[in-house]
Amino acid sequence: MNSIGIIFSNIYDVAMGELTKRRTVASMPFGGRYRFIDFVLSNMANSSLTSVGIITKYNYQSLMDHLGSCSEWDLNRKNSGVYILPPFSTGFTNVYRGNLEALENALSFLNANKEKYVIMCDTTVICNINFEDVIENHKKSGADITVIAAPAQQGEQFTDSDLFVKCAGNKVTDISIGKLIDQSWLVGMGMFVIERKRLIQTIEDYVSRGRFSFERDYLQDEFNLGNLNLNVYKFEKTVLRNHSIKSYFENNFKLMDLTVRDEIFSKGAPIYTKVRDEAPSFYHKDSVIEGCIIADGCTMIGTAKDSIFFRDVHLKKGSLVKNSIVMQGAKIGKGASLEYVIVDKNVIIEDNVALKGSPEIPLIIPKGTIVS
Amino acid sequence: MQERRKKCVAMLLAGGQGSRLGVLTKHTAKPAVPFGGKYRIIDFPLSNCVNSGLDTVGIMTQYQPLELNDYIGNGRPWGLNRSFGGVHVLPPYAKSKKSEWYKGTANAIYQNIHFVDRYNPDYVIVLSGDHIYKMDYSKMLDYHKEKGSDCTIAVLDVPLEEASRFGIMNLNDDGSIYEFEEKPKQPKSTKASMGIYIFNWQILKQYLIEDEKNPSSSNDFGKDIIPKLLNDNKKLFAYLFEGYWKDVGTIESLWEANMDLLDPEIPVQLKDPDFRIYARNYAKPSSYISKDAVLENSFVSEGCVIKGTAKNSVISVGCEIEEGAVVENSVIMPNTVIKKGACVNYSIIGEDCVIEENASVGTDDKKISVIGHDKVVPSGAVVSGQEVKL
Repeated sequence: MNSIGIIFSNIYDVAMGELTKRRTVASMPFGGRYRFIDFVLSNMANSSLTSVGIITKYNYQSLMDHLGSCSEWDLNRKNSGVYILPPFSTGFTNVYRGNLEALENALSFLNANKEKYVIMCDTTVICNINFEDVIENHKKSGADITVIAAPAQQGEQFTDSDLFVKCAGNKVTDISIGKLIDQSWLVGMGMFVIERKRLIQTIEDYVSRGRFSFERDYLQDEFNLGNLNLNVYKFEKTVLRNHSIKSYFENNFKLMDLTVRDEIFSKGAPIYTKVRDEAPSFYHKDSVIEGCIIADGCTMIGTAKDSIFFRDVHLKKGSLVKNSIVMQGAKIGKGASLEYVIVDKNVIIEDNVALKGSPEIPLIIPKGTIVS
Repeated sequence: MQERRKKCVAMLLAGGQGSRLGVLTKHTAKPAVPFGGKYRIIDFPLSNCVNSGLDTVGIMTQYQPLELNDYIGNGRPWGLNRSFGGVHVLPPYAKSKKSEWYKGTANAIYQNIHFVDRYNPDYVIVLSGDHIYKMDYSKMLDYHKEKGSDCTIAVLDVPLEEASRFGIMNLNDDGSIYEFEEKPKQPKSTKASMGIYIFNWQILKQYLIEDEKNPSSSNDFGKDIIPKLLNDNKKLFAYLFEGYWKDVGTIESLWEANMDLLDPEIPVQLKDPDFRIYARNYAKPSSYISKDAVLENSFVSEGCVIKGTAKNSVISVGCEIEEGAVVENSVIMPNTVIKKGACVNYSIIGEDCVIEENASVGTDDKKISVIGHDKVVPSGAVVSGQEVKL
């Protein structure tokens, strides 16, 4: 395909609080065995992209560990593949303030490629999308840039950096940032198609003038000046936006809806992730499992309701886990009880400990903690 | 300059038809038969190799090799994608003067002498692709070296009453072998051969070449090579393996080995971070267990949707058990769907099957029923037995 991919790995780090203290938002665990980046990277791989740059800023060890050589995505190519693009630091460099500034890291990657288009993506929006269709749509439209967007869901909350577009057919007629004007507007998915040469020119022109947000300083400003012709690609299938801990918490449970499950984990376009070679999960005769998502390698002896279990979790006898997310390698002690809790990786909850958060503010137990 | 070589090369015999597995090996070589929810039988010897530090493995195939070749690929799931060494699938091939199939276990290695010689190893370990066990071959190799042995055979202590089903090694006090008896009526020892041999390569090579010249030989390790070595007073030692080992050559033993995984008393530990069993992975999401599901003493692998009941069963990758369906004492191979109200008992269901609504497979009398791969059991049908006609 005549396109390359750019993925931003850190953009929404702040919104995830404690969970992104030791990882990029791109490596946030999701849905039992995945990380956020698996979805966008699999979408790119399934759309025949062979060259993908991942822009990173800090905390990217866990991301690099997760991606390895990218052989799971078949992106360990001889002449292309995945390029990790950490900041070019001179000792005086500040961390970047927006995605245009972040793209400065990617200039050499963008210049080294010859493909016509660039598909730019965040990792927080989870969906199963075919970018080949998007590129076709972009070409047909003759527009300068295509914004990938989806209808807002009832009651969905947004952040002040979310992009909204009003459209007539495929044409964008108005842009709002931070406010959904009404339900007829579409919500941007943090995914754009732009010609590579135009993107390089934009980065060079804008960053030097201290304008660092792609959406606000470039897209909205130039559109309002009448200099940009914007196309919208309306995505109709399941979209899970993770812009806060609350939405992240809720979205994990949405995977239990089998329509959502089928749309995200499409048979023809699988979602790849790092292989861990865990044994199948074992369900003891005393276990009670009601409405859960459970990955491989778990030993389930206790009771679990409406919860997500990542790989290699040990749920001991007499324990009770409700409405919670339990990440890889956690051990839940005998008689322990958890409700509305996010248990990060390798946490040990000792026997008879009771923890309770709320649906609005789930309790987060940080990576590696022992709770006694 | 030092020559680039390998100390030990593993040769895995995977050419058997596995006819006693009936419909399960109709279109698949036995080593590619699914096992334990997410594995195939060959994952066990292959992972053993990797966990023993052996990175050069030749897999000799000839029966229905397509699926097996595809499964092995470049060996990446086992870390065997090496630029020097790694895994190699070795089918029989046409040579300038003649072309022939592998006539026997010894002949299979004879035909691949050039492959082994490329690595110029001191030792060759011969393995078979139809056993479930976890074994560190490097310990056996250490024993082989320590004893100054020409050939070391791994043995298992079996109950005396079962000894006549195995190839039995009769030993001296120092562990050396003085006699080999294939399925003896009156066994003198309980040390059964596991079909795992370590040879000094130069000696094995010499014996393979001689054996090939003998037209009356059946070109088999157990029948020809081992007796000949004993006859020539070569040093043969038995290496006692302690742990779980099971030949899964029959429907009953395949079923039993799967059930053994569920028994906490039986030491076949799939979940050991220091000795993992590797398998090719198929990018399936985590399993969904609904509110109505009942799971008791069962293994469920990834990509499953469970809304019904599974007791004492192994449910493989990508299976579905719908509402009201009941699976008991059974092995469900990958990507099979058990529809609403269907029941399965004491059965092995092959890959990609559909058991339609309210159908019933198997009986309560512990005789194992088998449904081959890609089969549909029609709605309401009641079937059992090892040769179900569909």
